[in-house]
Amino acid sequence: MEAQEEQLLKDCAPFVKFAKLDELLSLGRANSLWPLTFGLACCAIEMMAAGASRFDLARFGAEVFRPSPRQADVMIVAGTVNKKMAEAVKTLYDQMPEPKWVIAMGNCAISGGPFVFPGQYAVVEGVDKLFPVDVYIPGCPPRPEALIEGILKLEEKLTGNRRWPVVKPE
Amino acid sequence: MATEDILAPLASTPPQETFVLNLGPQHPATHGVLRVKMTMDGEYIVRAEPVCGYIHRMQEKMGENRSYAQFLPNTSRIDYLSALTYTHAFVGAVERAARIQVPPRAEYIRVVASELNRISSHLVWWGAFLLDLGGFTPLLYAFDDREKILDLLEGITGARLTYSYFRIGGLYNDVDDEFIKGTRAFVAHMRPRLKMYKDLVTDNVILRKRLIEIGPISQELCRLYGATGPVIRGSGVPYDVRKVEPYSAYPEFDFEIPTLPEGDSMARYLVRMAEMVQSLRIIEQALDKLPAGPVMAEKVPRVLKLPAGDFCYAVEAARGRFMVRIVSDNKEIPYRVKLRTPCLSNLSLFEEASRGMLLPDALALMGSLDLVIPDIDR
Amino acid sequence: MNAEPNSAGAPPATKPAATLPAPAPAPAPLPNPLAHLPLPFQAVDYFLKGYHLDASVTPDQVVSAAELLGKEGFALDTITGVDWMALGQMELVYDYFHPQRFLRVVIRARIPRDNPEIPTISKVFPGANWHERETHDFFGICFLGHPNLMPFLLPEDATYHPLRKDFTA
Repeated sequence: MEAQEEQLLKDCAPFVKFAKLDELLSLGRANSLWPLTFGLACCAIEMMAAGASRFDLARFGAEVFRPSPRQADVMIVAGTVNKKMAEAVKTLYDQMPEPKWVIAMGNCAISGGPFVFPGQYAVVEGVDKLFPVDVYIPGCPPRPEALIEGILKLEEKLTGNRRWPVVKPE
Repeated sequence: MATEDILAPLASTPPQETFVLNLGPQHPATHGVLRVKMTMDGEYIVRAEPVCGYIHRMQEKMGENRSYAQFLPNTSRIDYLSALTYTHAFVGAVERAARIQVPPRAEYIRVVASELNRISSHLVWWGAFLLDLGGFTPLLYAFDDREKILDLLEGITGARLTYSYFRIGGLYNDVDDEFIKGTRAFVAHMRPRLKMYKDLVTDNVILRKRLIEIGPISQELCRLYGATGPVIRGSGVPYDVRKVEPYSAYPEFDFEIPTLPEGDSMARYLVRMAEMVQSLRIIEQALDKLPAGPVMAEKVPRVLKLPAGDFCYAVEAARGRFMVRIVSDNKEIPYRVKLRTPCLSNLSLFEEASRGMLLPDALALMGSLDLVIPDIDR
Repeated sequence: MNAEPNSAGAPPATKPAATLPAPAPAPAPLPNPLAHLPLPFQAVDYFLKGYHLDASVTPDQVVSAAELLGKEGFALDTITGVDWMALGQMELVYDYFHPQRFLRVVIRARIPRDNPEIPTISKVFPGANWHERETHDFFGICFLGHPNLMPFLLPEDATYHPLRKDFTA
């Protein structure tokens, strides 16, 4: 009987999975991240290009850009955050329901970017001064492939394993 | 039905009946961080007041802190969709003041690159405008075409969006055979695509109902607010800096300025679609006539000091007239850099033009003005 | 053009590089096409400076200058403020362009730095409304008669004027 049970489990293996609920939930969340449309400046165009036909974020489940923060899980801060805008950004972050993540896309969102100079008066030097950031994507602007890599890194943070291994240049 | 007829019964509405609707700064249809405080009477706008400054990045202050060559990356980021035209204005102002003669091959390549950039900017405008009006598909087609342009420009400049290709005195590097062949192939590919867009989108009855007679802007309104670009050309004035104040190698080429007299959103839309066709013409002529020679002027000083005084240079960017005014006091760093951006003047007429409009019509008007907000805020 | 496109991209050794002819000729430059206006215009080399006519006026004359140019059909290009701290003055440069003619006009006015005030031209050119708000933001220049001199690019509660030369963040 045990050999039969074992054989049964082996046959069912492709169709039936046993896992912890947490893992299933994180798999679901990782594969259906809904970004908030939060393009501020130049990086927004690369974010749109990543969602458009050639780079196609839809393959990774992140195609549905929600305009309302109440319906989004991940806020991709694409562009420079200003001191005048900082309050609005913080409000948007607070309005997002848990679990939520933040991707800082581009140099401006990471550290103020090319607009930091001694005596600067308007730019917030990095969006992590306002709220915690999960993934940083450097670049000015980062290529759409870099944004996709950032989404994959976030998926890795959620589920613990990457969709596919890192490609090593030959 | 004219707007006055619609509003007449509401004219007696007491002021307490209006409410204030806040559009933005985070909104899918504002193309950046623009906030518009709208006083609404039901669905009709009583007063729309744009509030800017949410992406103010101190470009003019940085002009006073950087040398002429160090300011070049900033120029791309003012209006990142037509970045090369903005860099052209800045290097043009410096070259004009320092009396640097740019070699003709560099001027021709600058024209080719600027026109490719103009097409890619209009494609983004077209996709985003239709997204605002409710159609998602044209955005994907537009970005597909745009990726081809970006591949070409990446081959010569190394960047996809914010190029620093033009240098003071010429170009960073020369174009190769691959670029020329690729651009010709792109021109051949794009012409039937534009025809397809006309058949599928421009002639679409829903688009026509949403744009024809919506958002009329008169010539006098354009003049009072200094609006330029497709806004003034869609109102019947053939004002294009490339023809009226010629610069660079544009006098060598034969192209038209699409102008339409109606002044409504459809006219501005058609002007931009026709401009893409004219840009293809310019690119073909420039590639046919491309002269041999160096791409960098010979004696550009390493440490550039402009003579004292002020100098300006204007170009026709994708959105209108962009002018750089440099005030110099004979040092390596400019004393003042003033950027006259088209979107600021174009948006300033929104308050007057949108009175009494329905909210969706006002958004169609705003989309037809083609705004890039970092251009306003600099 | 006397040079044919060279597919190798390198200039041929013996042919001299082609030169562009002079840029498109402006309509025969008259000494002052706006001589009928009572403004102290001076002709300027367009190919060096980028504009044709330059007039320096006193601060109270800017409105009448704007009206005269408005009647001629000019449009306001931009208003630039310059802080000449060493001279104790601020300069306002009004650029005008004409939508149909190749003619660029500049009107300048200088005001004292410690009390920078100048009348507004926003009744003549409504587009000046935003330009003047921005100049006020950056320099603190008060435009007398302006309907709404609130900060435009800076936060609503900003009290600093960043483009002044003595500004420290």
